[in-house]
Amino acid sequence: MSAARITALTALTMLLAACGPTRPAPGIQGDPERGKIALTQYACHSCHTVPSIAGSKVYVGRPLGDMAERRYIAGKVPNTQDNLVRWIMDPQAIDPDNAMPNMGVSERDAIDISAYLLSQ
Amino acid sequence: MVLTLLGAGLIGAVIGLIVLRGGFYNIAATAQHYPLIYTVFEEGLQYSVQNHARDIQVPAGLGAPEQVRRGAAVYGANCIQCHGGPGVAPLQQGMSMQPVPGPLVDADLNWETRELYWITRNGIKMSGMPAWEYHLSDNDIWAVVAFVSAMPNMTTEDFRRMTAPGDAPAIATQGDQP
Repeated sequence: MSAARITALTALTMLLAACGPTRPAPGIQGDPERGKIALTQYACHSCHTVPSIAGSKVYVGRPLGDMAERRYIAGKVPNTQDNLVRWIMDPQAIDPDNAMPNMGVSERDAIDISAYLLSQ
Repeated sequence: MVLTLLGAGLIGAVIGLIVLRGGFYNIAATAQHYPLIYTVFEEGLQYSVQNHARDIQVPAGLGAPEQVRRGAAVYGANCIQCHGGPGVAPLQQGMSMQPVPGPLVDADLNWETRELYWITRNGIKMSGMPAWEYHLSDNDIWAVVAFVSAMPNMTTEDFRRMTAPGDAPAIATQGDQP
Protein backbone atom coordinates (compact mmCIF):
# COMPACT_ATOMS: atom_id res chain seq x y z
CA MET A 1 0.00 0.00 0.00
CA SER A 2 1.40 3.37 -1.00
CA ALA A 3 1.99 6.19 1.45
CA ALA A 4 -0.64 8.28 -0.31
CA ARG A 5 -3.26 5.54 0.10
CA ILE A 6 -2.40 5.11 3.77
CA THR A 7 -2.75 8.86 4.28
CA ALA A 8 -6.07 8.89 2.45
CA LEU A 9 -7.38 5.93 4.43
CA THR A 10 -6.28 7.50 7.72
CA ALA A 11 -7.99 10.75 6.76
CA LEU A 12 -11.16 8.85 5.83
CA THR A 13 -11.15 6.94 9.12
CA MET A 14 -10.71 10.16 11.08
CA LEU A 15 -13.49 11.80 9.09
CA LEU A 16 -15.85 8.91 9.83
CA ALA A 17 -14.92 8.94 13.53
CA ALA A 18 -15.57 12.69 13.66
CA CYS A 19 -19.05 12.11 12.25
CA GLY A 20 -19.94 10.21 15.43
CA PRO A 21 -23.66 9.78 16.09
CA THR A 22 -24.67 11.82 13.03
CA ARG A 23 -23.87 9.06 10.54
CA PRO A 24 -26.76 6.86 9.46
CA ALA A 25 -27.34 3.49 11.09
CA PRO A 26 -25.97 0.54 9.04
CA GLY A 27 -27.98 -0.16 5.90
CA ILE A 28 -29.84 3.15 6.07
CA GLN A 29 -29.89 5.47 3.05
CA GLY A 30 -29.94 9.25 3.24
CA ASP A 31 -28.55 12.05 5.37
CA PRO A 32 -29.88 12.00 8.95
CA GLU A 33 -28.58 15.48 9.82
CA ARG A 34 -30.38 17.01 6.86
CA GLY A 35 -33.43 14.94 7.74
CA LYS A 36 -33.43 16.36 11.27
CA ILE A 37 -33.88 19.86 9.84
CA ALA A 38 -36.22 18.74 7.06
CA LEU A 39 -38.66 17.17 9.50
CA THR A 40 -39.09 20.53 11.26
CA GLN A 41 -39.90 22.17 7.92
CA TYR A 42 -42.84 19.79 7.40
CA ALA A 43 -44.04 20.32 10.99
CA CYS A 44 -43.56 16.65 11.98
CA HIS A 45 -42.75 17.87 15.50
CA SER A 46 -46.07 19.70 15.77
CA CYS A 47 -47.89 16.38 16.30
CA HIS A 48 -45.05 13.97 17.25
CA THR A 49 -42.42 14.26 19.94
CA VAL A 50 -39.11 13.70 18.15
CA PRO A 51 -35.74 12.92 19.77
CA SER A 52 -33.46 15.98 20.13
CA ILE A 53 -36.06 18.40 18.70
CA ALA A 54 -37.36 21.07 21.08
CA GLY A 55 -41.13 21.06 21.18
CA SER A 56 -44.27 20.82 23.24
CA LYS A 57 -45.59 17.64 24.77
CA VAL A 58 -48.07 16.56 22.12
CA TYR A 59 -50.42 13.61 22.11
CA VAL A 60 -51.64 13.71 18.52
CA GLY A 61 -49.22 11.45 16.65
CA ARG A 62 -47.16 8.73 18.28
CA PRO A 63 -43.76 9.62 19.78
CA LEU A 64 -41.00 8.90 17.23
CA GLY A 65 -38.27 7.94 19.68
CA ASP A 66 -38.11 4.24 18.91
CA MET A 67 -38.61 4.01 15.18
CA ALA A 68 -35.58 1.75 14.66
CA GLU A 69 -37.17 -0.89 16.94
CA ARG A 70 -40.71 -0.51 15.68
CA ARG A 71 -41.92 -3.58 13.68
CA TYR A 72 -44.93 -2.05 11.90
CA ILE A 73 -45.94 1.34 10.54
CA ALA A 74 -49.48 2.31 11.58
CA GLY A 75 -50.06 -1.40 12.28
CA LYS A 76 -50.27 -1.91 8.52
CA VAL A 77 -46.92 -2.52 6.83
CA PRO A 78 -43.48 -3.78 7.97
CA ASN A 79 -41.22 -0.99 9.18
CA THR A 80 -38.60 -1.01 6.42
CA GLN A 81 -36.99 2.23 5.27
CA ASP A 82 -38.77 1.98 1.90
CA ASN A 83 -42.14 1.66 3.61
CA LEU A 84 -41.33 4.49 6.01
CA VAL A 85 -40.49 6.74 3.06
CA ARG A 86 -43.79 5.76 1.38
CA TRP A 87 -45.62 6.45 4.63
CA ILE A 88 -44.06 9.89 5.14
CA MET A 89 -44.86 10.89 1.55
CA ASP A 90 -48.44 9.62 1.45
CA PRO A 91 -49.92 8.06 4.60
CA GLN A 92 -53.36 7.59 3.01
CA ALA A 93 -51.88 5.30 0.33
CA ILE A 94 -51.20 2.85 3.17
CA ASP A 95 -54.07 3.70 5.53
CA PRO A 96 -56.89 5.70 3.88
CA ASP A 97 -58.60 6.93 7.08
CA ASN A 98 -55.41 7.87 8.89
CA ALA A 99 -55.46 11.32 10.52
CA MET A 100 -51.83 12.07 9.59
CA PRO A 101 -52.06 14.49 6.66
CA ASN A 102 -50.13 14.19 3.42
CA MET A 103 -47.63 17.01 4.04
CA GLY A 104 -46.30 17.08 0.48
CA VAL A 105 -42.87 15.74 1.46
CA SER A 106 -40.49 15.23 -1.50
CA GLU A 107 -38.78 11.85 -1.94
CA ARG A 108 -35.34 13.21 -1.06
CA ASP A 109 -36.64 14.86 2.11
CA ALA A 110 -38.61 11.72 3.07
CA ILE A 111 -35.47 9.56 2.68
CA ASP A 112 -33.45 11.95 4.86
CA ILE A 113 -36.23 12.20 7.47
CA SER A 114 -36.51 8.41 7.61
CA ALA A 115 -32.70 8.19 7.93
CA TYR A 116 -32.86 10.45 10.99
CA LEU A 117 -35.74 8.55 12.59
CA LEU A 118 -34.15 5.15 11.95
CA SER A 119 -30.75 6.26 13.29
CA GLN A 120 -32.03 7.22 16.75
CA MET B 1 -18.46 42.75 47.86
CA VAL B 2 -20.52 45.41 46.10
CA LEU B 3 -17.62 46.17 43.78
CA THR B 4 -17.26 42.46 42.94
CA LEU B 5 -20.94 42.21 42.08
CA LEU B 6 -20.81 45.37 40.01
CA GLY B 7 -17.72 44.08 38.22
CA ALA B 8 -19.37 40.73 37.48
CA GLY B 9 -22.48 42.54 36.22
CA LEU B 10 -20.36 44.74 33.96
CA ILE B 11 -18.46 41.76 32.52
CA GLY B 12 -21.79 39.97 31.90
CA ALA B 13 -23.20 43.03 30.14
CA VAL B 14 -20.10 43.32 27.94
CA ILE B 15 -20.28 39.63 26.98
CA GLY B 16 -24.00 40.01 26.26
CA LEU B 17 -23.34 43.03 24.07
CA ILE B 18 -20.62 41.17 22.15
CA VAL B 19 -22.93 38.21 21.48
CA LEU B 20 -25.77 40.57 20.48
CA ARG B 21 -23.73 42.86 18.21
CA GLY B 22 -21.61 40.03 16.83
CA GLY B 23 -24.74 38.44 15.35
CA PHE B 24 -23.63 35.04 16.62
CA TYR B 25 -27.10 33.92 17.60
CA ASN B 26 -28.66 32.12 14.63
CA ILE B 27 -32.09 33.63 14.05
CA ALA B 28 -32.91 31.25 11.14
CA ALA B 29 -36.25 29.47 11.37
CA THR B 30 -34.45 26.26 10.39
CA ALA B 31 -32.39 26.38 13.62
CA GLN B 32 -34.50 25.02 16.46
CA HIS B 33 -34.53 26.50 19.96
CA TYR B 34 -32.46 24.88 22.65
CA PRO B 35 -34.87 22.67 24.63
CA LEU B 36 -34.40 24.70 27.83
CA ILE B 37 -35.19 28.00 26.07
CA TYR B 38 -38.25 26.44 24.42
CA THR B 39 -39.48 25.18 27.79
CA VAL B 40 -39.01 28.56 29.48
CA PHE B 41 -40.91 30.36 26.68
CA GLU B 42 -43.69 27.77 26.74
CA GLU B 43 -44.12 27.92 30.52
CA GLY B 44 -44.18 31.72 30.39
CA LEU B 45 -46.89 31.51 27.73
CA GLN B 46 -48.93 29.09 29.82
CA TYR B 47 -48.82 31.26 32.97
CA SER B 48 -49.48 34.47 31.07
CA VAL B 49 -52.59 33.07 29.38
CA GLN B 50 -53.85 31.54 32.63
CA ASN B 51 -53.48 34.90 34.34
CA HIS B 52 -55.03 37.06 31.65
CA ALA B 53 -57.95 34.73 30.92
CA ARG B 54 -58.94 34.13 34.53
CA ASP B 55 -61.99 36.42 34.59
CA ILE B 56 -63.51 35.34 31.27
CA GLN B 57 -66.95 33.75 31.55
CA VAL B 58 -67.74 30.98 29.07
CA PRO B 59 -71.24 31.60 27.64
CA ALA B 60 -73.86 29.08 28.73
CA GLY B 61 -74.75 26.50 26.10
CA LEU B 62 -71.43 26.75 24.23
CA GLY B 63 -71.12 23.93 21.68
CA ALA B 64 -74.66 23.80 20.28
CA PRO B 65 -74.63 22.06 16.86
CA GLU B 66 -75.39 25.22 14.91
CA GLN B 67 -72.61 27.12 16.68
CA VAL B 68 -70.14 24.29 15.97
CA ARG B 69 -71.10 24.41 12.26
CA ARG B 70 -70.55 28.16 12.24
CA GLY B 71 -67.20 27.65 13.98
CA ALA B 72 -66.21 25.08 11.36
CA ALA B 73 -66.75 27.66 8.62
CA VAL B 74 -64.71 30.26 10.54
CA TYR B 75 -61.97 27.67 11.08
CA GLY B 76 -61.94 26.71 7.41
CA ALA B 77 -61.67 30.37 6.40
CA ASN B 78 -59.07 31.56 8.92
CA CYS B 79 -57.32 28.82 10.94
CA ILE B 80 -56.79 25.74 8.78
CA GLN B 81 -54.09 27.51 6.71
CA CYS B 82 -51.62 27.36 9.61
CA HIS B 83 -53.07 24.74 11.98
CA GLY B 84 -54.40 22.14 9.56
CA GLY B 85 -56.65 19.52 11.15
CA PRO B 86 -57.30 15.78 11.32
CA GLY B 87 -56.17 14.45 7.92
CA VAL B 88 -55.71 17.96 6.52
CA ALA B 89 -52.25 19.52 6.12
CA PRO B 90 -51.64 23.19 6.79
CA LEU B 91 -50.30 25.31 3.95
CA GLN B 92 -46.51 25.41 3.51
CA GLN B 93 -46.43 28.80 5.22
CA GLY B 94 -47.93 27.20 8.33
CA MET B 95 -45.88 24.02 8.41
CA SER B 96 -42.52 25.77 8.16
CA MET B 97 -43.12 28.51 10.75
CA GLN B 98 -41.18 28.62 13.96
CA PRO B 99 -42.65 28.14 16.47
CA VAL B 100 -44.77 25.65 14.56
CA PRO B 101 -48.50 26.49 14.87
CA GLY B 102 -49.37 22.99 15.96
CA PRO B 103 -52.50 20.87 15.90
CA LEU B 104 -55.63 21.95 17.80
CA VAL B 105 -57.24 18.54 18.20
CA ASP B 106 -55.41 18.30 21.55
CA ALA B 107 -55.95 21.96 22.54
CA ASP B 108 -58.31 20.94 25.34
CA LEU B 109 -55.45 19.06 27.03
CA ASN B 110 -53.42 22.25 27.38
CA TRP B 111 -56.03 24.98 27.75
CA GLU B 112 -59.32 25.73 29.47
CA THR B 113 -62.15 26.87 27.19
CA ARG B 114 -61.85 30.49 28.42
CA GLU B 115 -58.11 30.38 27.62
CA LEU B 116 -58.76 29.22 24.05
CA TYR B 117 -61.09 32.21 23.67
CA TRP B 118 -58.45 34.58 25.07
CA ILE B 119 -55.72 33.23 22.77
CA THR B 120 -57.96 33.46 19.70
CA ARG B 121 -59.10 36.98 20.55
CA ASN B 122 -55.72 38.41 21.61
CA GLY B 123 -53.15 36.37 19.71
CA ILE B 124 -49.69 35.43 21.00
CA LYS B 125 -46.79 37.84 20.60
CA MET B 126 -43.73 36.60 18.61
CA SER B 127 -45.43 33.30 17.79
CA GLY B 128 -47.20 34.17 14.54
CA MET B 129 -50.62 33.70 16.17
CA PRO B 130 -52.64 36.76 15.17
CA ALA B 131 -55.20 38.52 17.33
CA TRP B 132 -58.69 38.10 15.89
CA GLU B 133 -60.48 40.68 18.04
CA TYR B 134 -60.59 43.28 15.27
CA HIS B 135 -61.23 40.80 12.44
CA LEU B 136 -63.90 38.45 13.76
CA SER B 137 -67.08 39.14 15.71
CA ASP B 138 -67.19 37.96 19.30
CA ASN B 139 -69.83 35.39 18.31
CA ASP B 140 -67.50 33.97 15.67
CA ILE B 141 -64.59 33.76 18.12
CA TRP B 142 -66.76 31.76 20.53
CA ALA B 143 -68.03 29.65 17.62
CA VAL B 144 -64.51 28.70 16.58
CA VAL B 145 -63.67 27.88 20.19
CA ALA B 146 -66.73 25.62 20.26
CA PHE B 147 -65.58 23.95 17.04
CA VAL B 148 -62.03 23.37 18.31
CA SER B 149 -63.47 21.91 21.51
CA ALA B 150 -65.52 19.47 19.42
CA MET B 151 -62.60 18.38 17.20
CA PRO B 152 -61.42 15.42 19.34
CA ASN B 153 -64.66 13.56 18.52
CA MET B 154 -64.48 14.09 14.76
CA THR B 155 -63.33 11.63 12.12
CA THR B 156 -61.10 12.96 9.36
CA GLU B 157 -64.16 12.76 7.08
CA ASP B 158 -66.29 14.85 9.52
CA PHE B 159 -63.55 17.43 9.76
CA ARG B 160 -63.05 17.69 6.01
CA ARG B 161 -66.76 17.95 5.30
CA MET B 162 -67.44 20.59 7.97
CA THR B 163 -64.54 22.87 7.03
CA ALA B 164 -64.95 22.53 3.27
CA PRO B 165 -65.44 25.89 1.54
CA GLY B 166 -69.04 26.39 0.51
CA ASP B 167 -70.42 24.45 3.47
CA ALA B 168 -73.43 26.43 4.77
CA PRO B 169 -72.38 29.75 6.40
CA ALA B 170 -68.75 29.88 5.30
CA ILE B 171 -68.91 33.10 3.35
CA ALA B 172 -69.92 35.42 6.17
CA THR B 173 -66.60 35.58 8.03
CA GLN B 174 -65.58 38.89 6.53
CA GLY B 175 -69.01 40.49 6.64
CA ASP B 176 -69.93 39.93 10.28
CA GLN B 177 -67.69 42.48 11.97
CA PRO B 178 -67.92 43.36 15.69
